[in-house]
Amino acid sequence: MNPRLARLLGSIGLDLLRSLAIAAGIVVFTFFVIRMIPGDVVDLRGIEGSLTYSQQTAMREELGLNKGWLEQFWLWLGMILSGDLGTSARYSTPIADLLATVIPSTLALGTAALSIGLVLGIGLPTLACLYPRSIFVALVEFITIWSITIPTFSIGILCVIVFAVWLGWIPAIGNFTVPALILGLDIAGTLAKMLHEDMTDIQTADFIRTARAKGLNRAQIVLRHILPNALTTVVALIGLILASVLTGALTMEVVFGLPGLGTLALQAIKGRDYPVVQAIIIWLGLAVVVANFITDMVQKLVDPRLRNL
Amino acid sequence: MPAVSTSRAGGLSLPRWSRLTYIAVFIVAIALFVSVAGPLLVTHDPYMFGASMNEPPNAEHILGTDDQGQDVYSRLVTGTGLSLLYGASAALVALFLGGLVALLAMALGKVAEGILFGLVDLIRAMPGILFALAFIVAFEPGVESVILALGISFAPNFALITRATYLQQMARPYTSAAKVLGASRIRTAFVHILPNVAGALITQFAIVLPRCIVSESVLSFLGLGVSPETPTWGRMIASATPYTEDAPHAVIAPIIALSLVTFSLAIIGNELRTRFDPSRRRIAL
Amino acid sequence: MRRTLLSLAAAFAISIFTPAFAQEPEYGGTLKLQWGTLDTADFHRHTGTISLPHVFAETLTSISKDGSPKGLLAESWTISDDGLTYTFNIRQGVKFHNGRVMTAEDVKKNFERIQREVKGGWLTSAMEQVESFSAPDEKTFVVKLKAPFAPFLNLIAEGWILAPESPGWDSNITQPIGTGPFTFDSWTPQLAIKGKKFADYWMEGKPYVDAIEFDVREIADTSLALRAGDYHAADIPLSKIESLKADGIAIDFSGDTSWNFLSFNNRKPRPPFDNVRVREAIAYAIDKAAIMKIAAGEYGVTGNQMVTEGNFFFDPEMAAHDKHAKPDFERAKAILAEEGVNPGDTTVYMISELNNRTAAPIAQILRQLGFKVDNKPFDDLGFQRALSEYDWDVFPGGSGPRNDIFLRYVRMMSDGPNPGLWGGIQDPEFDKLVKAAISTVDQNESRALYLKAWQRVLDNYYTVVLGHAPGAYGIRPEVHDLTIGFNTSAHRVDGGVAFTWIDQ
Repeated sequence: MNPRLARLLGSIGLDLLRSLAIAAGIVVFTFFVIRMIPGDVVDLRGIEGSLTYSQQTAMREELGLNKGWLEQFWLWLGMILSGDLGTSARYSTPIADLLATVIPSTLALGTAALSIGLVLGIGLPTLACLYPRSIFVALVEFITIWSITIPTFSIGILCVIVFAVWLGWIPAIGNFTVPALILGLDIAGTLAKMLHEDMTDIQTADFIRTARAKGLNRAQIVLRHILPNALTTVVALIGLILASVLTGALTMEVVFGLPGLGTLALQAIKGRDYPVVQAIIIWLGLAVVVANFITDMVQKLVDPRLRNL
Repeated sequence: MPAVSTSRAGGLSLPRWSRLTYIAVFIVAIALFVSVAGPLLVTHDPYMFGASMNEPPNAEHILGTDDQGQDVYSRLVTGTGLSLLYGASAALVALFLGGLVALLAMALGKVAEGILFGLVDLIRAMPGILFALAFIVAFEPGVESVILALGISFAPNFALITRATYLQQMARPYTSAAKVLGASRIRTAFVHILPNVAGALITQFAIVLPRCIVSESVLSFLGLGVSPETPTWGRMIASATPYTEDAPHAVIAPIIALSLVTFSLAIIGNELRTRFDPSRRRIAL
Repeated sequence: MRRTLLSLAAAFAISIFTPAFAQEPEYGGTLKLQWGTLDTADFHRHTGTISLPHVFAETLTSISKDGSPKGLLAESWTISDDGLTYTFNIRQGVKFHNGRVMTAEDVKKNFERIQREVKGGWLTSAMEQVESFSAPDEKTFVVKLKAPFAPFLNLIAEGWILAPESPGWDSNITQPIGTGPFTFDSWTPQLAIKGKKFADYWMEGKPYVDAIEFDVREIADTSLALRAGDYHAADIPLSKIESLKADGIAIDFSGDTSWNFLSFNNRKPRPPFDNVRVREAIAYAIDKAAIMKIAAGEYGVTGNQMVTEGNFFFDPEMAAHDKHAKPDFERAKAILAEEGVNPGDTTVYMISELNNRTAAPIAQILRQLGFKVDNKPFDDLGFQRALSEYDWDVFPGGSGPRNDIFLRYVRMMSDGPNPGLWGGIQDPEFDKLVKAAISTVDQNESRALYLKAWQRVLDNYYTVVLGHAPGAYGIRPEVHDLTIGFNTSAHRVDGGVAFTWIDQ
């Protein structure tokens, strides 16, 4: 086998092992940590109804909550591995159904926000690079500062008041465009500054001087040489961006009343619906691990220097 | 702004700061002053509820009152100290857990390093806010839980920087020299490497601090932050948000305070980073 | 002839020019509501708010706005003199959503299912009193009790009558087939419940709207959505009433109230709060009016009982003699001094619910008395747990409307459900009085006994009542005849969604 290929595969293989270990870690960790939270779903039923102690014990037995933790863990692990996501303790509906209802919403918001964020976050610095003394540079600064300083939920509430109630342009609850915009701006802010700096750095690099000596004009240089290099930064940051989209989506969902994963997770944590919380944290965690793995792999394919073996 | 000379024989060399940085430092200085002098600057008891709710700014209440009749100005003043204190505590916890523990782990060898950074990856893999939420709900809610939860969430930032710096420094001649002279790895780590890591850690602290402060406000907004009477900026925003229409001043005042201070801290952090390490590629965090 | 024509013309003219005083209901439209949540499609197991199931499945009785039970699926009933036998005349010609006619046998099967299957819920205490059910013929349903149980009629307002053909009857019902004005078409937990008009509904000509949609998300502030027109009606926080009225939204209140109180730890009291006089001192220090103003704006009233004016079980005499109607701070300090208690030495541990607006002001009052206060806020589940551990001193709490006064008293009994909110009272004298109150069929005797029990609460300062506030609902102008009942129920024999119509 070609030694270079061998090294590449080996590096990816190691990464895979590491990712699997982390995945296993997430699974175990979540299960036991969630169990540590005081109060369970029977307590919740107890608040709303009025359950006597014996009724609560009976309910716990029904839900299997009185078995030892280890026993519960094996049962649950078996279930997960066979593909069954389990049933919500609070609603007695299959978790898969619950997730199926909420994931599209979060995906929609996330994709929209990501698109806006990428377009602005990559576009603005590029424009700033192309036209170095124009307004675009100021815009980059503005966006960066904006994303650092203004908490998204405050802007969210203000937007709801202004656009939904005063202007009536959007429904007060269930609207996607405004939160997508807000999140998108946030992401753009994270990206823009870094990209702008990278691009400016790259501009002084040798190979750019060569390109200029070759007679390429500014636009060509930026678009053909600087931008692609800068994109590797973006790929490296995907993990961070995804994490911040998730976090941002949660708050936005609460403010704008969107029926997404974030709202479900929050309610499930407050309602001590263990199965749902587990399912969400684990699947989200796994999604992030997979995303990181893929981006690492892509980076390795692109840049041999990163295949540290 | 004229460049201050950097070569005065025998004197301190002041760095050349941009106007923006001066403003930022000024704002932070004011914030610190208010934090310390808080009790002297308040006009009313920040916790005392009153009869007049949601009053706009007037002679008696400089910034008006909130939905429980409390004086917004006094709460803002008290809250400055609290927000900074809690944010700094969380960032410090992150620094110690992430930075110093990481340094120790690196010095102890590959196994320790593997375990610790496995944990680090684990924390980074989980959606930050869910993790903090679950953590706070698991342990009793309150200031301590918030600080601990945020500290753990941000520890990876410090850990990664520590590791990178450690590896970098270990490749330098002076560490090999130390080893030759018989210094143990731990001693090398803490006596020789630590001073070099310090700069990066402090920079990261300045970057993480505003994020801690904002995170606390998000947690309070979701209902799992500090107790409702504590006037941290985040809590004030959260409580005043449902009444934005009736009492916009009660929401805007803490938002402005929060924004100004986090912005200033971010500028300072940026400046520090440029100062300490302009050439190295930032760790993607 | 002329005169007749003239009067006809006059009548015609008057009817044209009279403004639409008695408007004719219009048919059509989808009613969008935001109030209440649903935990399960198996209504018998439902332990949460009872507003929603009524719209799809009905009960023998429903509670009217004044708190009295009226026949819904039961046309009438008789109670034997000894209070042990209830004979219900079941309404005839009522169809289930699957077309079949409901009989007394169906009613019996439902009650048996509740008794057999449901291990927790409001009805369980009622079911424990039952000796037997029988359905001697299609029209008659008979319940024999072991002992007189006064709350029975009110409690069965939550005994949903479902068709035994409902899928999941033997385990967990997934599709409840009821007799209500709307069919239970779809339910996405925490999202929405949708239903269509039931064409064969037994109330002639009703419902008027074609479909109903409940938004069951837990949204903190529905007023924005209401103003923007996303909902036709929603339950709203009291603080938003003014801004809603300004936008032309009508406000209606529930018949029953929620009440706020400050409870002491009665299960394991710690010094100095094991001293009744210290509790008395704190009661003197509290400014009920100011706190209720913060909690409920101008819609709050102060009080010293679990119910307020207008309720049968309220005693105006007792209210008039409330020692603590107005605060007396000096007296409070004096009593503390008399008892040799130095507040500066004590830290009061307070548990509070995050959304409770009385917690911070009460904490502040305690601080003014000189105590140190450690206020730990919890989310809605956490505080229940924390309360049941009984290592706290005070708990400012609230409790909502109930079908029957018994449901308020039962939680203060020694083996009552969820007693933590009132500090886990264990008072055998109190228990005896409440048991006596429910065992008599004479309403007035019942009332007297309940009040005696309450007097014990007052004398021992188990809990200090702050005041009451009603539940408020906002209703958009294009919605007509949506009346709010005693509690949160959305459908009753004399009001609710079946009577509602929307401007087309």
